[in-house]
Amino acid sequence: MTKIRMTLNGAPVVREVEDRTSLADFLREECGLTATHLGCEHGACGACSVDVDGLLTRACLKFAVQCDGRTVTTLEGLNQDRVTEALRDAFHRAHALQCGFCTPGMLVTARDLLLRNPQPSEAEIRDALAGNICRCTGYAGIVHAIALAADELIRHPRSL
Amino acid sequence: MKPSPFTYRRATSVADAIVLLAVAPDETAAIAGGQSLGPLLNLRMTTAGTLIDLAAISELRESRDLGDAVFIGAGVTHAEIEDGKVPDPSHGFMRRAAAKIAYRAIRCHGTIGGSVAMADPAADWPCILLALNATARIAGPQGERRLAMDDLLVAAYETNLAAGEIILGFEIPKLDDTARAASSKINRKTGAFADSLAVAVRQGARSRVTLGAASIRARILPQTSAALAQGESLEALRPLVASDVAALLAAPDPYLQNLHATNVMRTLAEVLGA
Amino acid sequence: MLEAGPELDAFRQSPYPALANGKVRYVGQAIAACVAPTRAQAEDLAEQVGVDCSELPAVVDAVQAMAPDSARLFDTWPDNAFIIRTIGAGDQEAMKQAPVRLRRQFRMNRQATVSLETRGCVAYWDQRLDELLVYLSTQGGHVMRLGLAQALGLPENQIRVIAPDVGGGFGGKNRLLPEEIAVCAIALKRNHPVRWIEDRREHLLASVHCRDHHYDLTISAERDGTIIGIEGDVHIDAGAYALWPTGSFMEASMAAGNLPGPYRVRGLNVNTWTVATNKAPMGPYRGVARPGACFAIERLVDELALHLGMEPYDLRKLNLVSRAEMPYTTVSGMKLDTGDYHDALDTAARMIDRPAIRKQQRERRPGELRIGVGFAIYTEQSGHGVVEWSKRKSRVVPGYEAANVRMLPDGSVNVHVGTQNHGQGHETSFAQIAAHELGIDPALVKIRYGDTATTPFGFGTFASRSIVFAGGAVATTSRKLAQKIKAIGAHLLQADPSSVEIRDGHVVAGSASVPFRDIARAANIRQELLPVGMEPTLEASGTYEPGDSAGVFSYGTHAVVVSVDEDSGVVKILDYAVAEDCGTMINPMIVDGQVQGGIAQGIGTGLFEEIPFNADGQPLATTFADYIMPCATEVPTVRIAHSVTPALVTEYGVKGVGEGGAIAPPAALANAVADAFRDCKASFNETPLTPRRVWEAAQRARREAGALT
Repeated sequence: MTKIRMTLNGAPVVREVEDRTSLADFLREECGLTATHLGCEHGACGACSVDVDGLLTRACLKFAVQCDGRTVTTLEGLNQDRVTEALRDAFHRAHALQCGFCTPGMLVTARDLLLRNPQPSEAEIRDALAGNICRCTGYAGIVHAIALAADELIRHPRSL
Repeated sequence: MKPSPFTYRRATSVADAIVLLAVAPDETAAIAGGQSLGPLLNLRMTTAGTLIDLAAISELRESRDLGDAVFIGAGVTHAEIEDGKVPDPSHGFMRRAAAKIAYRAIRCHGTIGGSVAMADPAADWPCILLALNATARIAGPQGERRLAMDDLLVAAYETNLAAGEIILGFEIPKLDDTARAASSKINRKTGAFADSLAVAVRQGARSRVTLGAASIRARILPQTSAALAQGESLEALRPLVASDVAALLAAPDPYLQNLHATNVMRTLAEVLGA
Repeated sequence: MLEAGPELDAFRQSPYPALANGKVRYVGQAIAACVAPTRAQAEDLAEQVGVDCSELPAVVDAVQAMAPDSARLFDTWPDNAFIIRTIGAGDQEAMKQAPVRLRRQFRMNRQATVSLETRGCVAYWDQRLDELLVYLSTQGGHVMRLGLAQALGLPENQIRVIAPDVGGGFGGKNRLLPEEIAVCAIALKRNHPVRWIEDRREHLLASVHCRDHHYDLTISAERDGTIIGIEGDVHIDAGAYALWPTGSFMEASMAAGNLPGPYRVRGLNVNTWTVATNKAPMGPYRGVARPGACFAIERLVDELALHLGMEPYDLRKLNLVSRAEMPYTTVSGMKLDTGDYHDALDTAARMIDRPAIRKQQRERRPGELRIGVGFAIYTEQSGHGVVEWSKRKSRVVPGYEAANVRMLPDGSVNVHVGTQNHGQGHETSFAQIAAHELGIDPALVKIRYGDTATTPFGFGTFASRSIVFAGGAVATTSRKLAQKIKAIGAHLLQADPSSVEIRDGHVVAGSASVPFRDIARAANIRQELLPVGMEPTLEASGTYEPGDSAGVFSYGTHAVVVSVDEDSGVVKILDYAVAEDCGTMINPMIVDGQVQGGIAQGIGTGLFEEIPFNADGQPLATTFADYIMPCATEVPTVRIAHSVTPALVTEYGVKGVGEGGAIAPPAALANAVADAFRDCKASFNETPLTPRRVWEAAQRARREAGALT
C-alpha cells in the first residue's frame, strides 16, 4: 500500500492504495466516482477517459500511484466546464447516446478535441473518436453533437 | 483483468532508475507511458515484482538540436512529437507519423523510448527510427553506450537492452534539404495495430526503406534501399521490393507478400514523387 | 441443472453446470469460482487453482462435426446435433426441373455481442426481507428470476432482481449464464454481498457468442430470372451448451424460414443442423438468424443476376412481393402483412444514385480504387406472440406485456412496465404514449422498469417487441385510466360522463373544466368528492397482445457504395442509404437511432468482427486488439428515408424496429464488393469481409477467369 495525494476534481485527496490499483478502479471503488466506466481494461474502448494534468488519459492504463501529485479530472469534475456543458446539451439534442455507457468517455474525449481544435471538420471529429467504442448509436449522433457544440461555443464564446 | 501484485517505485533520475533496476533486474520492469505494458500487466500476460516508473525523470524528457542530428529523449510522448514540441530532424515527417499512432489518449502518454523498448513488431517508432538511421543512447550499470537501431532490435518484444539498462533517447540524423520521407500503414481500422507498416527515406546514398509487422521485428529492406540510393525508378524497384519482402516472411503467403509489397511500393511512390 | 432449449423431444439436452463437472467443453467455461475482497485478489487465487484434466479431441467445425467419425461432445448423444430438422414446403418438383440452378456456399463467422457494459451481477441475502437481492445486468429481470429460482431451488417470491440501468444487451443479456447462478449460489452461503463483473476477455471468451452460420444452397429459377425455389443445407454452430431458457434452436429454424426473404419463392427444401461444438454457447444477437439468412438469399439473388447477365436491381424488381399481394404468406409460412417493398427498393436506389455509380465504374482508370454498389432487402418480424412462440415450442412464451399506470395525488404519473430499457429510449417513447392517451405533457410521466418487486410481470426487451407489446400495454392501460379520469371529472363538473372530453390535462365539459390535479386529489386523498360507489385511486393495470400474434413485418432496403483497394483488399464505405418502413413511428429520432445503430453492428458483422478458433478449439480473438470493433472512422452517417405503412393489428400501427438495421448490412456490403469485381465475377460469400478474404476471393476469380479464356 502506498499513500498518494492528488487533486481530484478540484479538491485535494489523500488515500492509501494498493500499488497495482488502476486509476480507474481507484476512482470507482475508492472515491465513488462511477462516471469513469470500464469497457475493456486494455486501452481500446475509451470509456474510462479522464483528464490528468490536462492530458487525455485512459484511466485503465494508469495506476493510481502514478498519479501521485497530479491533477485528475473526471466527468464529475466538469460540471462547471463550459465546453462540457455545451457538449452535454448537444448530446441531448442530437440523440448522441442510447445505453449511455460510452458517454462519459465520449464527452471527455470530445472536450479534449474542442480544447485543441475549436472548429474541427467532420473527419477530424471522427478521427478524434477513433479510439472510443459506442455499441449503440452508430456514432452519427455523437459526431453531429460535437459539431453542434463546437458551433455553439464559437457563436457564444462566453455564454456558458 | 487486474495485474498481479507489484511494488511501485518512481525513479527521480536516470542514476536513480539504474540503481532501482539493479536490485533485482529479472523481477523488475521499467514503465514509461505504460500504454503497451499496461494492457499486458492487466491481462497478466506479463508480471513484475517491482515496477520502476521512468515518467518523472526530467533527463528523459529533454530533446536538443545537435547540429547535424537531433536528440529526442526517450520519455518524449507521441503527442509531443505530433504537436511539434520537440525539434524535428525530418521536415515534419515524424510529426505526421506520430499523429497516426493509435489514439490521442494513447499518444498523450506513450513514449518514443517505451515504444522501442517494448519492440512490438508492428509498432511505429522502431520501424521509423530504423529508416531514419537513428542511434539509441542507452544507460546502465556499466555506464552509457550507443547502439544503432538495427543492432538494438532483436525480435518480437526483444531488444539488445541488457537487464538493468534503459534507453536515454535517440540521436536522429537530420534529413537533407532534398530528402523525402514517407510512411504507409495498412490496418483494419484507424488506430489499430499495423498489418503492414512501410517507411521510406530517400536521400541519396543514405536512402533507407524499412518494413514493420512483416516479421519478428522491423527490418531494413536491403536491395530496395540500395536501389533507391542509386536513384532507380519505381518500376525498377518493384522486383527488388518483392524479393526483399519474400525474404522477410516466415512462410510464403501470397496475400501477405502482396500486402507488404504494395505497401512498400506506396511509400516509394511518395518519396519518388511518382 | 436447468433444462434449456425448446420443449421438443427431438432437442437433445446438454446439462450446463454453473461450474464445470466432469467434462470441460470449451475454452472459457467456468471451472472454479474464487471469492476475495477485490477482483484483483480473486484473480490471484485463480492463478493458484490447478486443474487436472486430460485432453480430448476438439470439435470446432459444425459441418465436420456431423461426420460419422467425429468426436462427440455428449456421450449419450448419437451424434453432435442438438436437433436436425428439414423445412420443406411448396413446389419441390419445379425446383428439380428448373432451367437455372445455381449452387453457392456461404459462411457468417462467429462473433460476440459486445455490449460496451459487460455482464455483471451483485447478489446478497437480505436478512430482514428474507430474500435474495440480485442486481443483474439483464434484458429481462422477471424471466431471469424464473431461471434463478429453479436453479437455486428458491420460491420466486424470495428472489428480487433489479436492473437499474443496463449498458446495452443486444441479445447477449437475454440468457441466464452460469456465472450468474454461481454468484447467487455463493451469496446464499455468505453473509455479505458477492459481486462479479465480467471483464472484456471473459466476455469475448465465454459470454454469449452468435452467428456462425454455414449455408450450402441452390437457388433455382426460370431463364428470365423468376425465382423458383431454394434448397440445401444450413449448419448452425451452436457451441457446447444450450443456454436457458431457449438455447439457440431458433437460429436454424429462423434462418431457414427467412431464406425466401421478401421474394415470391415457390419452393423451399432446407435441411438444418444445430450442432454442438467445443465453443462458447450461442445465444441471440440483434437480428437473430436473419443476418445470416439475408446474407444467403441476397447474395444468391446477386449471384443469379450475375449468372443471367441481369442487373441485380431488375432481378429484385421481378421477384419482390408487391403491395397488391399483401398480406402475402411466404412458402415458409410467414405472413408479410403490409408495406410496399418495391417502393423501398426504388427509394434506396434513387438515394444512392445507381446510374452515377455505374458511370463512375465505367470511367475508372487502372490503378484507381474499385467502386461497387450493393443492395439488400430485409424483413423484420416483430410483435409476434402466443401463436408464433408456442409454435416454436419456446420454454417461455412471451405472448404479452403488462403495464401499470398510476396517477398520484398531484397529477403526476408513474408507469411501470415489464420490459427492460437498455438503450432503446423506453422512458421517452412510452412516456409519449401515456401522455398522448392521458392528454398531458410527457414531462409529467415517469416510466419505471427493471425491478421485479415493483413492476408487473413481463418478458423483457428483445425480438423488436417492446414498442408493440409494452407500448401497446401502456396505450391500452392509459386509455382505461383516462376513462376513470373522465368519469370523476364529469362528476366534479356535474356533467354527463358521455359529454366530457380530455384536453391538455383537464376534463372539459363545454366551457367548464377541471384540472387532473383536482381529479387526482379527489381519487387519492379526498374520496368524499368521488361519485358514490366509485373505487378510489387512479390506477390501471393491464396486459396487451396484438390482435394477430403471428407478427407484423417491418422492412427496408439498404444500399451501400464501397471502394475496394484491390491490392490490399481493404473495403471502405463511401455512402450508405436506407429506405425503411416500421409502420407508425412514435419517436422518429429514436427510430433513426435504432436504424443507424443497428447498421453499425451490421457493419461490424460484415467487415470486422470475428472470433476465429484454431484446430484445438482455442479462440484467437479475446481482446479488442484482435477483435476489431468499428468506430466513428469506420461507420458513416447513414441517410435514412422513411415510409409509413401502419400495421393493421397493433396499437397506432407500430411495428418493431430494433433489429432491422443489423440484418441487411453484411449482405449489402458483400453485394457491393462483388459489384466492384463484376468484371471477373468474383464471389464474396464469407463474413467478415477481411482484407485477406477479399483479396483471395478476387485472386481466385481472376485465376478462374484466366483459366476459362
